[in-house]
Amino acid sequence: MHAQRFTAAAALAAASALTMAGCAGGSAAPAADVTAEPEYSGTLSILTKFGGDPLGPYFENLAAAYEEEHPDVTVELIQETDQSVKDKTKTLTASGALPDIYFTWTGNWAQNFIDGGLAADLTDVIGPDTEWGATFGEASLSAFEVDGKYYGIPLYNNGKFMGYNTAIFEEVGIEVPTTFEELIASCEPLRAAGYEPIAFGNKDGWPALHYLQQLFAYNVPSDVLHDDFSPSTATLDDPGYITSLEQFKTLVDECTDTGTGTNGVLYTTAQEALAGGRAAMYYQEILEFDTVTAEGNTLTPENFGIFALPVPEGAAGEPGAIEGSPEGYLINAKSPRAALAVDFMKFATTLENATTLSSPPYGQPSTVVGAVTPETSSVAVFEGITKVNEASDLVIWLDTVTVPEVADAWLAGGEALISGGSTPEEVLESVRNASDAAK
Amino acid sequence: MALTAVAPPPRTPRRVGVRRLLGLSWILPAVVVLGVFVYLPLVQNLGFSTLEWDIYSGSQVFIGADNYAKLVGDPIFWSSLGNNVLYAVISLAFQVFGAIVLAAVIESIRSDRWRRGLRAIYFVPSAISLTVAGLLFYFIYEPNLGMLNYVLDHVGLGAWAQPWLGQESTAMTAIIVMSQWQGFGYSTLLFAVAIQRVPSELYEAAAIDGIGPVRRFFTITLPLVREMTGLMIIVTISGAFQVFNEVMVMTSGGPNNSTQVLGTWLYRNGFVRNDFGYAAAIATVIFVVTLGIALVQLWINRRRRVEW
Repeated sequence: MHAQRFTAAAALAAASALTMAGCAGGSAAPAADVTAEPEYSGTLSILTKFGGDPLGPYFENLAAAYEEEHPDVTVELIQETDQSVKDKTKTLTASGALPDIYFTWTGNWAQNFIDGGLAADLTDVIGPDTEWGATFGEASLSAFEVDGKYYGIPLYNNGKFMGYNTAIFEEVGIEVPTTFEELIASCEPLRAAGYEPIAFGNKDGWPALHYLQQLFAYNVPSDVLHDDFSPSTATLDDPGYITSLEQFKTLVDECTDTGTGTNGVLYTTAQEALAGGRAAMYYQEILEFDTVTAEGNTLTPENFGIFALPVPEGAAGEPGAIEGSPEGYLINAKSPRAALAVDFMKFATTLENATTLSSPPYGQPSTVVGAVTPETSSVAVFEGITKVNEASDLVIWLDTVTVPEVADAWLAGGEALISGGSTPEEVLESVRNASDAAK
Repeated sequence: MALTAVAPPPRTPRRVGVRRLLGLSWILPAVVVLGVFVYLPLVQNLGFSTLEWDIYSGSQVFIGADNYAKLVGDPIFWSSLGNNVLYAVISLAFQVFGAIVLAAVIESIRSDRWRRGLRAIYFVPSAISLTVAGLLFYFIYEPNLGMLNYVLDHVGLGAWAQPWLGQESTAMTAIIVMSQWQGFGYSTLLFAVAIQRVPSELYEAAAIDGIGPVRRFFTITLPLVREMTGLMIIVTISGAFQVFNEVMVMTSGGPNNSTQVLGTWLYRNGFVRNDFGYAAAIATVIFVVTLGIALVQLWINRRRRVEW
């Protein structure tokens, strides 16, 4: 009996000590002073989305150059991929261990950090009227603006385009389609010539959402669409949604070789089908342009062209809209090295470093004015970013613009639509239910 | 030189107390580690399941049993549970009953070389990590470039080719098949070891009495590997309710949530939907189910130990 009590007491004491230590670690830190003079010492931690090749070396080189300029500073990089950065960020957030600088998307993703007091207000250093802010395109800065305050450092811009093999189009005798209906009609001759018309892989779910969001932007009036992103104002009853879902299903059935099995294909497999010359088209982000035309691929930069997903005839939405948004970085509001973090990001966004980022092999079109030029970037990246800048409306990715429950319902709905498990009406109903539940 | 026995010191109450404390101090590190890393998180998880927890602001609001009430009305929770049960049933059939039969067949082979060779062949898949095996099978199942559809096409069964992981009707089965491939050899090896411990005299006596191999299996092998069978049933069922890696690698729970299991649904609610309180409630269900199964199984097996 004594032994049991002793063991229990020892375990309880140890557990209590650890729990209290954990509580102490979670105490509120003073708000970051981003305007202070940086103290060039200590370790600066950065969570990036550039893990793996070809992007990994970008931040590594940047960190090495910064450490060379400031020998007492150590830059600790946590490099994740597009998929893993989501889990990593949330794990670090839940455990109160966010790094000094961390990656963010726009929309609801960034909003969560801003609302939670985890993103430093950078208005005084990066607002459009500041010296640093003036180096960015204003639309890019605005993507991270909330109630007149600027929170994010936009690093590069992005948009979604149909990339195509010009040699295959020429061989088959096809012109770049100007309407969605022409796009669908072009698939049959491409298939007859032995090519997969549009390569598509939806194992991760989000590639379908990219098609859907662009079609929603075309078919649903802009004000209705933006209201529907927020559960508190959403009605999700515009007929344009059903039209878009039907058009998407037609594209999957008519233009992909995988059809109802597209959910079993990785998006990188689809990417390789275009890069390897087996597919004529692949819907992709600007960030992928230099990857599909990288050295060694069958598809060369000379044979690579892009066009915005063609607008369906009679669409009631915004025909000049392009899906995309900048991606950038937030500074931890509780970081004791916030001023140093700002200094590092200033270094990362100098014209020289921004130009490097925009050039092959990285091909990430910087938001810094003057960094993306025909001389420094590939032709396709320059063309893509020009189209993004000229777009009448920039629509944020469907999986980050709305709350996670609704995004998740769209994701499951997109998969069900592809496999034939649900009709467009059933998909919309499930999303509407998720939106109502999230109110 | 004669050895003289040293008389043990008298066992005074004080000395007994010191010895007991000394003994306890040896097990204290293990108790503390278990307490901190196993039991404390269990208790904490129970606490989290009663909260609405915003990881961004850090706010935690007590909502009682609301997360458990939500579970009852969540159709994906029930379909996930159904997938876990399906997983458990198929795993029991293959990794327990199938593995005993295979182990008995292997151990009945007279050639030592063949026995060892077959054991190794069946065990090799278990040496591959589940994540790697999942990736491997993902590419085998790939609809366009995958080996399975390629083989079906080339043996005249092209009509059977499917997007195995891309459609709701086949995705879960495809994952379970991979899992059986990976785990079957391990169970077979464990049963083979258990069968090797059965005295050969019993088989020899049975053979002299004219008892055939099938009856020998049911009357000698099965009763004498009962302990191992009980253990394997617990391990297999518990494992089926903790499935995560293979599903994440192969489908992430899709398409349309058709391959969600409790583990992936927990993950999705926590890390995608930011609903960590609800995720903790699902974790509690997993714990209760696996603990319940283990207790029932231990109770059933409590007096069936066979000595020889």
